[in-house]
Amino acid sequence: MSFEPKILGIACNWCTYTGADLAGTTRLQYPQNLRVVRVMCSSRINPSFIFKAFQLGADGVLVGGCHPGDCHYNTGNLYARRRLAVTKKILEFSGMEPGRFRVEWISASEGNKFAEVVREFTEEIRNLGPQTKFKIS
Amino acid sequence: MATSFKQIEENLKTEAGKLLDAGKVSMVLAYGRGYDEKHPLPYVARSLADVDGMVFNEYCTANLARYLVRYPRGTKIGIAAKAADSRAVIQLIQEDKVKRDDLVILGIPVYGMKNAKTDEAIDAKTTCGLYNPVIYDVLLGEEVHGQPVLSPYEVLEKVEAMGQDERFAFWKKELDRCIRCYACRKACPMCYCDPCFIDQNKPKWGEKSPETGGNLMYHLTRFHHLAGRCIDCGECSRACPVDIPLYLFHKKVAKECEEMFGQAAGMSIDEKPALINFRVEDSDKILE
Amino acid sequence: MLKKTTVQKLSDLAAGLMEKGALIAPVREEAGHNFREISDPAAVDLDFYNTLLSPKSVFFPHTEDFIRYKTGASIAEAVCVEPDIRPTVLFGVRPCDVKSFEIMDIHFTGTGKVDPYWAKRREAATIFGYAFDPNTPADPADFYSTLGIGAADPEGSDVFMIRKDQDLLLQAVSPKGEKLLSELPSLSDASADDQKYFDGTVAAGRTFKTRFTCVEAEPIAKKFEDLFHNAAFWEKVSEACLSCGACTFVCPTCYCFDICDETLFSQGTRRRVWDSCMFTDFTLEASGHNPRTKVYQRLRQKISHKYSYHIRKYGPISCVGCGRCTRNCPVNIDIFSIVNEAMKA
Repeated sequence: MSFEPKILGIACNWCTYTGADLAGTTRLQYPQNLRVVRVMCSSRINPSFIFKAFQLGADGVLVGGCHPGDCHYNTGNLYARRRLAVTKKILEFSGMEPGRFRVEWISASEGNKFAEVVREFTEEIRNLGPQTKFKIS
Repeated sequence: MATSFKQIEENLKTEAGKLLDAGKVSMVLAYGRGYDEKHPLPYVARSLADVDGMVFNEYCTANLARYLVRYPRGTKIGIAAKAADSRAVIQLIQEDKVKRDDLVILGIPVYGMKNAKTDEAIDAKTTCGLYNPVIYDVLLGEEVHGQPVLSPYEVLEKVEAMGQDERFAFWKKELDRCIRCYACRKACPMCYCDPCFIDQNKPKWGEKSPETGGNLMYHLTRFHHLAGRCIDCGECSRACPVDIPLYLFHKKVAKECEEMFGQAAGMSIDEKPALINFRVEDSDKILE
Repeated sequence: MLKKTTVQKLSDLAAGLMEKGALIAPVREEAGHNFREISDPAAVDLDFYNTLLSPKSVFFPHTEDFIRYKTGASIAEAVCVEPDIRPTVLFGVRPCDVKSFEIMDIHFTGTGKVDPYWAKRREAATIFGYAFDPNTPADPADFYSTLGIGAADPEGSDVFMIRKDQDLLLQAVSPKGEKLLSELPSLSDASADDQKYFDGTVAAGRTFKTRFTCVEAEPIAKKFEDLFHNAAFWEKVSEACLSCGACTFVCPTCYCFDICDETLFSQGTRRRVWDSCMFTDFTLEASGHNPRTKVYQRLRQKISHKYSYHIRKYGPISCVGCGRCTRNCPVNIDIFSIVNEAMKA
């Protein structure tokens, strides 16, 4: 059986999640491998969510937030940018393939970008193969 | 020429005595006699009579900043602080856990500390490698100059050079040894959360049993919680009964934070911790 | 019956023991020696002072599964996990640690309620005790002689081993040990000289002194009862304590555990995991109330339990003086120094 990646998406309510909606309403095609969780802001994301997702078997984690400067709460994504950068470095130093975690800024009007990012990321994870390092069996 | 340990001990007793006698502080955190020379204990002097019990030698490695948060806010405390310890004090002030005005910092410039377990010198390999306290009110000896100043991050080269799979195998081997005694978080001056995330039940972040999954969750999250805050005193690794080189991971995170955010933890009381701060001009490149 | 072999031929002995069952013996690891199940006989290493972790985990593992279940499924579908009990040889245990098994037996089998996991493992095990060398000074953290334990006490072991230079002398202590020794072809009979050396060492072990002088349990038990409400004393001695669990996890006589339900998706496991009275959440009640929130209360519990409550309830002091807690304390707290201080208070 061919490998179908399981990808966790964590999207901010105001931009990326709305962007995903737009992708849907404009009938854009993108892979079904992404399961999206909506949060109110990218700064609400506890880094442990990402570690936990990998432990529970996610092959990749995609975080989406508003473009810097566009945060609904003015500065949330600016904090998130620093925090998630650290998460990325920690994952990398622990031995996880860096490509499995990605942060993208996608606005509510960027349905196209959302679909494009999901397509690209899914392909990348497909090439990386199943994530086994963190997964608890 | 560095001041001798004996002389520092004398100066410590004198200065602590003065502070307690004048009523400027209600306690002085220092080191006292343990069950032998090699194993001194963290010690609290509350009166002039207690001062005699103080010692200082090359095995006084414990970071006393750890105890600051234990006392009620507003308690006037004198604290003996070596280089890394003083950075911990600064970091705690930045995080508003203690007030600068409540502290009298007795700075100890020191070279030649030793790990009692291994008898190895404590240097830039396992700590930040500074010799002189960053902040102090009274200095208990002459500043140390002329000793080699080594980069605290040189020791990372070997692990950084590993491939992803090799590095994962390395950390898995190290972290699998963890017995979850939590000596690392309890010895850490920056780990003051009550309850710690790993002790929470709802949500339950990691299992209690010392197995790969829970161990990884506990340590990775702890590394993350200390990002931009770890002052590289190396206490976690010295406290670990099974010798997990936690300092390596903390150093790596500290190095990345310094490169990305342009500030090291615990160097100035006017800064904000890097992760509760931002700059509009932070680059998206840090996410790549 | 005294048998002998040489240290060089230790792996032959180990290989012989592995034919009798699982062999658990000291091996060298990064942070020190530890008891591990042996797969390569050459890995057994008797060049150690004492192991980092105590041998209690052989009978009382850090994690032990009891029940497996599916969340949402009927309780009737839950299955008991049968403990993996095999004939076991526990090799190279120091006399103070052998003594600890006797103390642990009280809790797991001696009070009328029998813990089958402990009891079955204990029954299936043959213990090879291994004397400290009475000719070299004890580690400064040790105080087993204070509690009346010799450096070379054979009691409690099935077979007792004493090292004589490059020779290893093995004396059967129990019938179980005798039977096992007679079945090991790699051993030769020891000489009368060896017997003299063996007996001499056991005798020397009884007069061997670690730090501190001998103590009596009763006055200590009484003293700690009197000191219970002396918060000033306990605050003073606990000022350095970080309240981590290092001391309790390396201790051979700490037996507290927690029953945890650990789930992965719908697959649940009910398991026993070591717990420590030094942890804040050890006494946390479901209501949110915690009767021991302060460090001094937890340290008081730990020390009073070992040196007072235990004496009152069961007789012996719940400590064997192995020194592990002292050696592994991140801030060098020494439990017996606190007992000494208490006696002076």
